[in-house]
Amino acid sequence: MTFTMNNQANVNSASAEASIVRRKLHPLVDLQCDRTWFEELQSRMAKNGPWDDWTLYQLSMEAEQAKRIDSFEQLQCLRTLPSFEPMPHQIDTARKVVHEMGGRAILADEVGLGKTIEAGLVIKEYMVRGLVRRALILVPASLVLQWVRELNSKFGISAVAQKKEHTWQYDVVVASIDTAKRDPHRDIILNQDYDMIIIDEAHKLKNKKTTNYQFALQLRKKYCLLLTATPIQNDLDELYNLITLLKPGQLGGQSEFAANFVVDKRMPKNEDQLQDALSTVMIRNRRGDGGISFTKRVVKNIPLELSPEEKALYDAVTAFVRDRYIEDGVDMMSMLPLVTLQREVCSSRDAVFITLVNLFKKTAEDSPIRPKIWELVEFIKQIKANTKAEKVMELIQQINDKVIIFTEYRASQEYLLQFFRSHNILAVPYRGGMNRGKKDWMMDLFRGRAQVLIATEAGGEGINLQFCSNMINFDLPWNPMRVEQRIGRVHRLGQKEDVKIYNLCTLGTIEEHIVNLLHEKINLFELVIGELDHILERFESNAGSIEQQLARLLLESGGDTANLEEKLNHLGSTITKLREETDSPETPQGPTILAQMTALGQKVEVRP
Amino acid sequence: MNSKQVHKYVQRFLEATQCSIIEKSPAHFTVKLSPAADRELTNRPFYWSFVDRTGSEPETMTYLLVTDKEKYEESLASPAPAPAQATNAVDAALNRSFGFVNNNLANAVRTPREDLYFGSRKLEQLFGAAKSSGSYVNLFQEPERRSSTPFQSTPYTAWLGVNMRVEFACDRKREEIHSYGVSLATGLVVENFYDRLKNLRLTPRLPSNVHVTRNGLSFTKALGIVETSLERKLKNYDYTWAVDAAARLEEELERIRNYYDPMIKHAEEESKTAIEEQFNQRQTEIKWQYEPRVTASAINCGIFHLEGIE
Repeated sequence: MTFTMNNQANVNSASAEASIVRRKLHPLVDLQCDRTWFEELQSRMAKNGPWDDWTLYQLSMEAEQAKRIDSFEQLQCLRTLPSFEPMPHQIDTARKVVHEMGGRAILADEVGLGKTIEAGLVIKEYMVRGLVRRALILVPASLVLQWVRELNSKFGISAVAQKKEHTWQYDVVVASIDTAKRDPHRDIILNQDYDMIIIDEAHKLKNKKTTNYQFALQLRKKYCLLLTATPIQNDLDELYNLITLLKPGQLGGQSEFAANFVVDKRMPKNEDQLQDALSTVMIRNRRGDGGISFTKRVVKNIPLELSPEEKALYDAVTAFVRDRYIEDGVDMMSMLPLVTLQREVCSSRDAVFITLVNLFKKTAEDSPIRPKIWELVEFIKQIKANTKAEKVMELIQQINDKVIIFTEYRASQEYLLQFFRSHNILAVPYRGGMNRGKKDWMMDLFRGRAQVLIATEAGGEGINLQFCSNMINFDLPWNPMRVEQRIGRVHRLGQKEDVKIYNLCTLGTIEEHIVNLLHEKINLFELVIGELDHILERFESNAGSIEQQLARLLLESGGDTANLEEKLNHLGSTITKLREETDSPETPQGPTILAQMTALGQKVEVRP
Repeated sequence: MNSKQVHKYVQRFLEATQCSIIEKSPAHFTVKLSPAADRELTNRPFYWSFVDRTGSEPETMTYLLVTDKEKYEESLASPAPAPAQATNAVDAALNRSFGFVNNNLANAVRTPREDLYFGSRKLEQLFGAAKSSGSYVNLFQEPERRSSTPFQSTPYTAWLGVNMRVEFACDRKREEIHSYGVSLATGLVVENFYDRLKNLRLTPRLPSNVHVTRNGLSFTKALGIVETSLERKLKNYDYTWAVDAAARLEEELERIRNYYDPMIKHAEEESKTAIEEQFNQRQTEIKWQYEPRVTASAINCGIFHLEGIE
């Protein structure tokens, strides 16, 4: 591709220096006249040719006239992008970065407002103006192809995914930072002058001791964009470190910064000055007041009675877990896998079986636990049908449209694939372990012929499924963030339908309690996106991850349902309280300080 | 450039490069490229080096160039006569078994589609192709009217003509295009020279009954005149933008100085050089980013022999 693209900057710079003549225009400005043309003309005259065509001479001039950038202001790139229309706040952001920030900025919009588009507009603008030719885009590995695709299709920028060493020669390269910082790539990159560097998910650079941060610090760049939805997660220093990458000294030296702006690592002071200082390097657009901005979420819990065989297995497993807890005491590390067993029964017998086999392998040969595990396997053998799977089947036939099913367990995923195949429903899998190409392929199949996608992973930021508006939680993760991530795959910008969420919930099991907690007590499904992570962070800062806390509650309650109920109630109300605090403006704690900084961007009402 | 202008541009390009237009509408061209155009536009350097080395007959590519996407797709949607579809299934099956994927042999030639709009990569490539073979010319004005007697000769003057792109850049950029002509006979300098040329009929061959007057000044002298005229013109411009940029530059330099100076002062001996190096790098970057500069480079140029003595 680069062979024929004649690149003026390139051609000029090669023989340039020698044939540039300087003349003074203004005390501050020289006129640099490039004379390469004159030398070439003379040499052609000496050889009496070859001479070019008059029409092409005119066409060449007309092209330049059309491309001419007639003003410093005005975004020029918009007229070269007929195929898509950026949203107003995205255009404003690009304009501000180019005109007021000198092309170095942190783009910190809340999730889903299109930071990638903003970055695309900025880079395109500089390319159209001939100020950027070489650019390096560093992103998490899972996003490389998506960036390449967006830059090419939306912006007509010939971006290339980094694959081999020689890829670095291309003008616009997208690579994962983990690859880039390693030999032999590292030296190649650090020896280049990049007109522009973009780093996506830049919050991963918050710690300045990491190799990633040190690497980013050494890059040679003219313009630079850092993209992150969470410029501060825990600590004001994180923000300081990000800004040091862009504009060292913008917030003073480390000690001045601490003295001027920090009360405690989560608590800023002199917020107005801080906001002023930030406003020249950071833009953060926020979502409008929720509600109206998105299509609705229709949540439906589907209660199911386990079949007698399944119930028998569940009871047996529960008893098994309780015995282990009584025998082994409170070592949480060894108990967690056991709790998992209980959760798996609610999903599929296949999932339980795999875990049991692994457990069996791990226990000593003479252990008294081994025969007990065999007993459980006997229970598994009795089970002939999966209540949930049959219900899902029924649902899918009712829905008669694209459906995404999430499960926590690989074994359940396999089972469902088999099950659907035997019922002539075309389903494709999606999981974290797949390589990028395969993930893309599965997405394409789902977009096309397949009616059902069965996914074990929702964390991969790469999956956007706006075209599908039905999701079934075959089983629920215990961490509300992961539930939110699942929903976020379909309930996002571009979703035109109300999103229907079905939670399968087996009565009389731990699952019933969890669904109850997440749905009724935390009100998870109606939370404004972005609110949840703040709440959880504060919740978990005291007593370990929410999964662990739940597991502990479960074990401690023994078989006493009422006791468990009460404890879960308590946990639910703790979270509700935290949520109210986060909402109220009097407590500018850690991450929420950004919420007060309203001058850093605009509020965007997002209408799909 | 709107789609009409693009269409016209593409047509002139295809004609100038001797491509054969197979089919066209106001919204598209189907075109078999000439070897010269193929080299420029198809990104096939390996193919062409193969042709050059083996001396084989080149097979150029055929493109569907769409200049107005909407209109083109509309025309596709409207009921087009499609008798070709009528070929019966037996034939199709037979063809498949003989290895023809399409039952229409003409279809076997791949015709990639390219949408051309201002900003699209293919049009950008076309611009590039126009530039690479439209940069240096040596042309003669066709005489206005045949002279009455064959023995009378019209005097012509040689001009050095150049189209310059002037870039005003700091962290932002603006451009102007200036076109100068200098009479090599008298040293007279003319602005907007290109506009004057556009209205003339020009030919690469010396017309009959014409003589070119002797040059009164050297090329280097003419070059000097062009640059001096440009300089004089630009000197009268407003340079507030540069003053602002220089102020930004100074401010930025000041900021990093305040950041790095104490750091360097308090640094341990072994880490000092590393920090100094980083400081220098940041300074270089900032100058690269903000330093105001004006550059003039040629878009294209040529020698133009025009009627009369000026």
